Amino acid sequence: MVGVTELPLAGPPEPAVARDPDTAEYPNWESVYQDNVVGIYQLVFRRVGNAADAEDLAEEVLMQTLKTLRLPAPIHNVRAYLVKTARTVMADHWRRHYAARDAALELERLPAGALVATPSGESADRARRLLGLLPDHFRRILELRFLRGYSVREAANEMGVTESNARVLQFRALRKAAELEQEVFA
Amino acid sequence: MTDKAADRVARFVDDLLHGRRPRRFTASREEAEAMTAAAGLVAGRVGADLPDKAALDRIHRRLSEALDESPVIDLRPTRRTWLRTLGTAAAAVVVGVALDEVASHESPAGPDGGGAPTVLMPDNGTWRPVAAVTQLPAGHAMPVSTGSVDAVVINDGANISAVSGICTHLGCKLQPDDAGRKLNCPCHQTSFAWSGKVLYYRLKTAPGTLPQIPVRVKDEQIELFVV
Repeated sequence: MVGVTELPLAGPPEPAVARDPDTAEYPNWESVYQDNVVGIYQLVFRRVGNAADAEDLAEEVLMQTLKTLRLPAPIHNVRAYLVKTARTVMADHWRRHYAARDAALELERLPAGALVATPSGESADRARRLLGLLPDHFRRILELRFLRGYSVREAANEMGVTESNARVLQFRALRKAAELEQEVFA
Repeated sequence: MTDKAADRVARFVDDLLHGRRPRRFTASREEAEAMTAAAGLVAGRVGADLPDKAALDRIHRRLSEALDESPVIDLRPTRRTWLRTLGTAAAAVVVGVALDEVASHESPAGPDGGGAPTVLMPDNGTWRPVAAVTQLPAGHAMPVSTGSVDAVVINDGANISAVSGICTHLGCKLQPDDAGRKLNCPCHQTSFAWSGKVLYYRLKTAPGTLPQIPVRVKDEQIELFVV
């Protein structure tokens, strides 16, 4: 580097920021996959709660999208299409496996901006905030079950109720949580 | 009625908490509401909603089998592409020179001859969990994202490190190749070592080294210092 010592010190290195989604394009399916697979998986996981279904559904979303999409295509178009496909795939999942038409309809209203990979801590913050809004006995049963990993029996012992009561309490607490989620986070 | 519904939902929750695929049943509207809330709470366990590397590998393999395995990249350069390429190359030269200067004064090159690594140290950065340690076995690299920063976390068997997950050429996302202990760019066949150094490129100008990202392990979680 002889002869270049007079150059001014450059600014900080270019940040590792993804391409501008308003103007950039995905050239091929690999780039769509790389950019979105984690976001889709998270989107699905938050609505099915288990890795096996999340993996299958994330793959189905990508497969359906990539088989019909003509590339190269603008990033924002591809992402909008991925979210639309994710809504349909998840709604079908709930209809097919649980005959849950209403839950399916809710999923079809998923916002278009939902496909953004987020730090895993964000789901934890959201869960903590939601638990904080619940009445004490509802919060207690859900904390014991979901945060501390207690079985129904252990939670019932801890709370001094029967197992049957603990199951009913858990059911009601989850319904209340669902209701609050609609009100607070919608 | 409530008891039966509560029992079915409890069984569903048990399956989720044990990491099992839940058994299927016909759920009432109330049960489905409770079940989706349960799914959200399970996702709230730190790191739970991040896919492990094996899952990503399986998805990628099945997509590869079903889709065209030799993606067609439009290589015809547009005016914008050329301008962007030239701009990036010019910036890389200036940054490279400046860092070389800093390195020669403050941090001697390592035994392999490389300069001081560039470290991405954002203003107002915070430690953010990106994965559970158990998701990253020795000898593996895993892409992670914090929303604003894409990174690859690496367990080389001795240490856990992290580098930017974005190719320094034109910004494509890097794909780990664990067998070769490298990160490949899908766009122009550039490869980087896990350390961030360029291993291979077919470009007129060598792309820059990948910036390092500060990483630590806390409470069994891998955390990055990012915005």
